[in-house]
Amino acid sequence: MTAVRCVDICKTYRQGDQDIKALDHLNIEIETGEFVCLMSPSGGGKTTLLNAIGGLDIPDSGEVWVADKRIDQMSKGELADLRLANIGFVFQAYNLIPVLTAQENVEFVMQVQGVPAAERREKSLAILDEVGLKGLEDRRPAEMSGGQQQRVAVARAIVSRPELVLADEPTANLDSKTSDELMGLFKELNEHHNTTFIIATHDQRVMRYAKRLVRMLDGRIVDDIEQNAA
Amino acid sequence: MNIVLRLAWRNLWRHARRTWLTIGAMVFSNTLLVFMISIQFSMYGLMIDNTLQVFSGHMQVQAPGYKDDQKMRQVVPDVQPLAARLRDELDSETIAARGWAFGLASSADRSYGVGIYGVEPEFEANVSNIPGLIEDGRYLEQNDAMEIVIGTMLARNLRIGVGGELTILGSGVDGSFAAAVVNVVGIFESGVKEIDRNIAEMPLAAFQEVFYMNGAGHQVVIMAPTLSEAPGLKTKVEAIVPAGLVVHDWDALQPGLKQAIQADMSSAFFMYGILVILVAFSVLNTQLMSVLERTHEFGVVMALGMKPGRLGRLVMLETALMGLLGFMLGAIAGALFTYWFSVNGLSYPGMEEMAANFNLPGRVYPEVTLLKTAFGPFVVFLFTLLAAVYPAWRLRRLHPVEAMRAN
Amino acid sequence: MRMLLVLCRLAWRYLWRNHRRTIVMLGAIAVGAWAMIFMTALTRGMVDQMVADGISVIPGHVQVHNPDYLDDPSISNRIAMTDEELTQRFGDAGFKAWASRVRVPAVITSERESRGVTLLGIDPEAEREFSFVDYDDVDGRFLESPDDNGVVIGAKLANTLETEVGKRVVLMSQDPDNEIADRGFRVVGLFHANMETYEETYAFIGKRTAQKMLRIGDTTTEIVFLGDDYRNVEPIYEKVVAAVDDTVKVSRWNEVDTYLGTMLGMMDGFMLIWVIVIFLALSFGLVNTLVMAVFERIREIGLMLALGMKPAMILGQIIIESMMLLAVGLFIGDVLAFATVKPLEGGIDISVVAKGMEMFGASSVLYPKLYLDDVILANVVVLFLGFLASLSPAWRASRYEPVEAITKVG
Repeated sequence: MTAVRCVDICKTYRQGDQDIKALDHLNIEIETGEFVCLMSPSGGGKTTLLNAIGGLDIPDSGEVWVADKRIDQMSKGELADLRLANIGFVFQAYNLIPVLTAQENVEFVMQVQGVPAAERREKSLAILDEVGLKGLEDRRPAEMSGGQQQRVAVARAIVSRPELVLADEPTANLDSKTSDELMGLFKELNEHHNTTFIIATHDQRVMRYAKRLVRMLDGRIVDDIEQNAA
Repeated sequence: MNIVLRLAWRNLWRHARRTWLTIGAMVFSNTLLVFMISIQFSMYGLMIDNTLQVFSGHMQVQAPGYKDDQKMRQVVPDVQPLAARLRDELDSETIAARGWAFGLASSADRSYGVGIYGVEPEFEANVSNIPGLIEDGRYLEQNDAMEIVIGTMLARNLRIGVGGELTILGSGVDGSFAAAVVNVVGIFESGVKEIDRNIAEMPLAAFQEVFYMNGAGHQVVIMAPTLSEAPGLKTKVEAIVPAGLVVHDWDALQPGLKQAIQADMSSAFFMYGILVILVAFSVLNTQLMSVLERTHEFGVVMALGMKPGRLGRLVMLETALMGLLGFMLGAIAGALFTYWFSVNGLSYPGMEEMAANFNLPGRVYPEVTLLKTAFGPFVVFLFTLLAAVYPAWRLRRLHPVEAMRAN
Repeated sequence: MRMLLVLCRLAWRYLWRNHRRTIVMLGAIAVGAWAMIFMTALTRGMVDQMVADGISVIPGHVQVHNPDYLDDPSISNRIAMTDEELTQRFGDAGFKAWASRVRVPAVITSERESRGVTLLGIDPEAEREFSFVDYDDVDGRFLESPDDNGVVIGAKLANTLETEVGKRVVLMSQDPDNEIADRGFRVVGLFHANMETYEETYAFIGKRTAQKMLRIGDTTTEIVFLGDDYRNVEPIYEKVVAAVDDTVKVSRWNEVDTYLGTMLGMMDGFMLIWVIVIFLALSFGLVNTLVMAVFERIREIGLMLALGMKPAMILGQIIIESMMLLAVGLFIGDVLAFATVKPLEGGIDISVVAKGMEMFGASSVLYPKLYLDDVILANVVVLFLGFLASLSPAWRASRYEPVEAITKVG
């Protein structure tokens, strides 16, 4: 099944007195279970593409299909539901709600979804264990290191088993060891649960893990290669 | 100095909405304060003037003890010559002698107990409104005429009008039986129920004859040119008056008046105080936030060599600028608001009823003066500065390195 | 809704995230709430007292007079019914209390002085509930029956007249033929009243004694009725109207003493205005706090929206936060008010301005009174207005686009 399909999408921003073409007639197709890396220099459009796929930012023109549903014409409410049920996000920073503990952050999405308390608790504890944070459930984000915070974010992103995980420069604030650990986690999840991963980055180390590398420049795809992942 | 001022000003506008909301609190409170204080003091002034002008005057010469006991035998001897002498030595016409007795007034149909005042027809109008408030007929003219003027309610209760005859029965100063027949020549309406119902006036000489006063009376009423000149005048009067007599100023004569004003002022100041405190809280909140969110920035500045004391002064300056804006805008808004009422008058349902009790008109025209306009906002400004002391003081304990790690 | 609990938890935690700001706001709300309720309790107590005093002098909640009496309170304007007839009409109508009395203007003369008074010929037992006189707090004794031959006057009047218990005075008034009606009485008691003017103005004698002295047979000038609640006299008003014909006029207490009635209405109005003024003063700070709080949280709001929360929930969360702040502040204010009013309920002595208070019609001791209704009103008004005030910041918070919110810098 095609997890994601973008057809001729365009998006232009105004910055100061210049028009920036973030997406320029871009086309891409990603199958379920793929592990894709989007690369571009800063401003190259990878974040915009990710936001378009995630239903956070509608392109000016073109079609965006996620899980065979056309999302560029959905209402805000429908998009919210889509993000809630089908997509997991890991942002570069500010992933967590500072006033909630790690466990509460992980449970947050499930609570909004209406999952009963017992089930939530079970799943959140399990996932925190899976990401290696057993024992830190009651810590608040301010009490955790950068790497731990990112892991909580990942846990939250995958706990409800979304089909698609979008990560925007997830290792930007991490040291090399933690980066490796995080990427290892992603790989594991991708292999065990067949979750589609789309990761935007310009970190070389991250790129080594991807099976498919998509290079972007000025809103266009310039390179799209399969490779042997690490 | 100039750059600090500029810096303080710009800092205020970094969060324009926050600053405006805080100033808004000040303007709201200031407008209210200016308005309420103006009304309050305008009313007090009116209350006092109106009450004193009706009958009691700014001060009175009396026998000791008369004020509290009002006994007929507590006389001021030779009251008319005394009044004349005071008029002469003080060069004032607003001085008049009076006598008082309680009697039963009977018309053809009815009898009522009344307080009868003997007054000097020539001078009474200078110390009291009543001669000017004649509704029907005329006021007294000859000092020895057996005439009388009464209030509208009394006239109604006695079922008598101008031209009618009243029989007066009472006791003379020595306790002997006093009686007279007098002609009603005028009916007055003062608007004060107690006066219109209970008081009658007859010429002093006639009064003294009827009640065997032997030239004595009970009061010399004195009006000063303005209320503020009364205390000075009192001292002069005391110097002239023979020993054995006392001079009472208005707040001894009408203690209720001053006390009513005091009671009202206390409750008003309580309310004003609360408003000021709430504004102070608002300022405290705003400035606290403003300081906390700049911790990092302050850390940098201190690392570059600025002393915490100067930072504190900066915060106080910012607060002062904000406070000044609030002061000016609020004072102007308050003055305009009050001015509208000073032209159109303020009246609310029920006010006429209430006001009559205090000799006030049913519609008040508050006066806009500099003092009344500036006072409230000034206090708010002071408390605004006070509120900023805590946030400013906190800056003294800031360490550059810690500060820069914040945020 | 389970969602509500999530929002509540978030709201509560966000409140305490910036505890200094929350504490300052709580302080302001508490002070505001305290001021509202304290002032209301003082005013309510004063007004209650004033009305009670005023009504006890009128007296009663409803009165019946000859139609001409109120303009011309003279003996010729009596009520044409005899006591017997009255008892027939009213005896079993179920009032809390009622009595017929003779009220005329008179002159009282002692050896030394004379004064004008309002003479009341009463049946002491029937009037016990009405009277502003505390029968047990009388120097000497109060009247014992409608046939009592003594007179009871106010302590201040006795002073002025230079008379005392045991001495004789003469009471003089008019009979219906305009002849002087006078009689000698022995002073049997001196009463004390809240307001000095009452002591100077009223003299009590027995009803039948008065009727004989004034030669009015078995008639009276005034019938008074007492109900249960001065704020709601309609029930007894209607009963009285039903029991009489149009030879008499029935008046409610606020028609007899318009000052009192008007003042009551005005005070109610003032209290509400006071509550609103305080709230408005608070509202600037409240809106400011919410706006600041939202501003600090833009990124998190964006995050929550990105994760799939609906804008309506963001709105809800901010509003809940505001309501919680208000509720806690109000609670503290309520407790403070209770703690400061209760000890003062025994009375605050303001006799230093007693004469001034008399001008207002109030006594020299203030008894603050905390009514649940007043407290509830103040709280509800603040909560409701607070809700309205928080709509704008909450609405703006919910309008953020996730993308701009997340990427917003400082």
